[in-house]
Amino acid sequence: MSFLRRFGPDGRRERLRSGVAAGPLRAYLDVPFPAASTPVESLELLAVDFETTGLDPSRDHLLSVGFVPVVGRSVVLAGARQFVVRADVEVGQSATVHGVTDDAVAAGVDLEVAMAALLEALTGRVMLAHFARLERRFLSVVCRRLYGIPFACSAVDTLELQARLVTSAWRQDPADGELRLWAAREKFGLPRYRAHEALTDALGCAELYLAQVAEFGPGRAATLRDLQRR
Amino acid sequence: MDTELTEVRDFLAATPPFDLLPAGVLDGIPARLLVRYYRRGATILAPGDRSDALYVIRSGAVDLVDGQGALLDRRDVGAGFGMSTLLRGGDFKNYITAIEDTLVLYLPGDVFRELVAQEPEFEAFYRSRIRARMRAAVESVQATDRGVPILKTPVRELVRRPPLSAPPTTSIRAAAQLMSLGGVSSLLVMDEGRLVGIVTDRDLRNRVIAPGVDLALPVSTVMTSDPVTAPADALAFELFFDMAARNIHHVPVMRGAEVLGVLSSSDLARLQHDNPVLLVGEIRRQSTIDGLVASSQRIPELVTQLVSEDVTAHQIGRVVTTVGDAIERRQIEMVEAEMGRPPVPYCWVVLGSQARHEQGLSSDQDNAIILSDAYRPERPEHAEYFAELARRMVAGLAACGYPVCKGDVMATNAAWRVPLGVWRRTFSEWMTTPHADALVNASIFFDMRALHGDSGLFEALREDVLAQAPSSERMLAHLTKSAVEHQPPLGFFRGFVLEKAGEHAAKLDLKGGGVAALVELARVYALENGLPDVNTRGRLEATAAIGRLSERRAAELTDALEFVSYVRLRHQVRQHRAGVAPDNFVSPSELTDEERRHLKDVFQIIRRAQATLAARRPLHYVS
Repeated sequence: MSFLRRFGPDGRRERLRSGVAAGPLRAYLDVPFPAASTPVESLELLAVDFETTGLDPSRDHLLSVGFVPVVGRSVVLAGARQFVVRADVEVGQSATVHGVTDDAVAAGVDLEVAMAALLEALTGRVMLAHFARLERRFLSVVCRRLYGIPFACSAVDTLELQARLVTSAWRQDPADGELRLWAAREKFGLPRYRAHEALTDALGCAELYLAQVAEFGPGRAATLRDLQRR
Repeated sequence: MDTELTEVRDFLAATPPFDLLPAGVLDGIPARLLVRYYRRGATILAPGDRSDALYVIRSGAVDLVDGQGALLDRRDVGAGFGMSTLLRGGDFKNYITAIEDTLVLYLPGDVFRELVAQEPEFEAFYRSRIRARMRAAVESVQATDRGVPILKTPVRELVRRPPLSAPPTTSIRAAAQLMSLGGVSSLLVMDEGRLVGIVTDRDLRNRVIAPGVDLALPVSTVMTSDPVTAPADALAFELFFDMAARNIHHVPVMRGAEVLGVLSSSDLARLQHDNPVLLVGEIRRQSTIDGLVASSQRIPELVTQLVSEDVTAHQIGRVVTTVGDAIERRQIEMVEAEMGRPPVPYCWVVLGSQARHEQGLSSDQDNAIILSDAYRPERPEHAEYFAELARRMVAGLAACGYPVCKGDVMATNAAWRVPLGVWRRTFSEWMTTPHADALVNASIFFDMRALHGDSGLFEALREDVLAQAPSSERMLAHLTKSAVEHQPPLGFFRGFVLEKAGEHAAKLDLKGGGVAALVELARVYALENGLPDVNTRGRLEATAAIGRLSERRAAELTDALEFVSYVRLRHQVRQHRAGVAPDNFVSPSELTDEERRHLKDVFQIIRRAQATLAARRPLHYVS
């Protein structure tokens, strides 16, 4: 086992998996993450987006989960899913942002069901998100609660990719707001979507990823390692 | 679980032909798609590619370019590509290049084939022949059901009873008694089943009673011999125009040699009142130029009314031309009445769109005079009479709203006011030693029709020309070259007209890019086959009838002409309503998406016919 494998995301996966009982998380952790040397052309990712009641995982709740797979340079819509999560909370004012109403939340699925589906879809794939830190933090809290251990994944962040494109190609400091998902999409002429539905945002992120990879070109985005470099 | 990809579904629901799919089928499609992205400049497909998918552009735009690098089409959001290999099989033949960053929805071949197999409207969108689409387009523009019966009714439907007839030897008295018993105002004179003449109430008054003719004489002595007849499928309005123009009141309707019945001008009363026939009648009764000017000012309103009703552009062309003919004929009668009898016989001919029965709202006047060979230019009473007649006619027509011809193809031009012999020589020169310049201007003279005077002069000239034209290879080659030089645009792109070289024009030239090309193609067909027809549709049909043009292509071209002419008329009517002088330049924003698609078919039909013609008549020896 190489140094990177021991201490990189996959090493963390190995260490965590022995401490978890059989179940969705264990099944997920049993499969290695894609190697850093995987060519972008055959890389499998899962674009993920959460809608939440707020930004603090310790206080706020996950309301919906949307994801769609990416294989190489194609978004595979057949794998697209969205779950509204049943939560014992008032959605309150946040409904104006994500459009998930109290009624929808009451009719949603249990968090365990949504997590099992997400972990299964993410198995053997890289997690793709716009500002991936938020999804990871929520996942860590949720996994601790449901399975007793934190979460691990290999991730690619389209916000970071956009920051690299903007600073290297255009200027040093990105202006306020220009790295947001919909502003970034507009730079590539990607269609406007009604933002803030978990699946729509996941699809929006996946399409942005295709555009970013094309923009970098094979010279700057040949393997997963190139996409994860800071 | 919720798998609805609303953004993708809503996009497809607004994109032909997916918009035609039942909701249940549409809902299932997004989950079977892939999404792909191409940077500006990327080649998406190239010749030889084995593509098995329909690509639908979600954002961005692509160029379709053939193997030689010629731009074939430019497509943007909602348009597809890749279907040709899906339908035909085999390799992709052209290049598809992203001209902007482009996001596509990739519909795998098996999904496409499933939709084609199960959804007839989806299949029709991709598989329908251009001819069927054109036919549907022509029908769709006349979707209103506020029909004008007179303009659509064949004369056979107006015939109410079999004709009353008598042999030529019948006495005048017996003939009158037959008419009286039958309660009819006319009697056909038939000799062994063959129509030889007609007698009317008016004939009995004018030719029998007033002169005091012996009533025992055979009716053949007072009948009108070889009367004007109409074929059973002639349209009522054409017949009535003709009757008004010739000032006749009874016309036998024939199916071959059989007489179905007689139509009288009073049958007209059974048809609706508000129609162009009445305008022609009014024109015939005008006795001053001012009166004609007043009548002519009603033409735009007439066209406006016709366009808003269920009438074809072909019929409107005939109606407008017939009204124009009536004005011109009435005018020349008035001018002759003022100037006295002409010193030698002559024929006043009309040219161009008027000759072709295709006048619209922006037509110039084009006319000429064929003088009898008895004309002596050195005799002032000859020369001055016709110069003055031409001057008065051209001025009068201009007052009636027919602008003077920019190319000076008018009888006021001494070159176009010459004896038959000179005309023959001129045509002969055009046909044997055509210089490109001379012929471009001359092509209008091949669309010629006698309007007034000694039509024998015109017939003689036409016979000559038609006999010589089919073997005039150089002339035909020049006319072909000119016909294929009108390059229709490729289509439309984002509110612009996409020209062949990829430029974007703000407006579509319906004449140069459509009507003129069709007119010139049909003219070549007619001349190379020595056909006398001048109407473009008539030329196409006549060429098909002798097997020199496939029925399919003739039908395509006829429908293309009808569609583009209709769009032109509608555009001109809108301009007239807005108080703007009518022209031929339509902005793509005036057209619906569907009309833009149909016009694209029109352009393609024209290009195909041009390619066939150019291949058949090599242009290499035309400088």
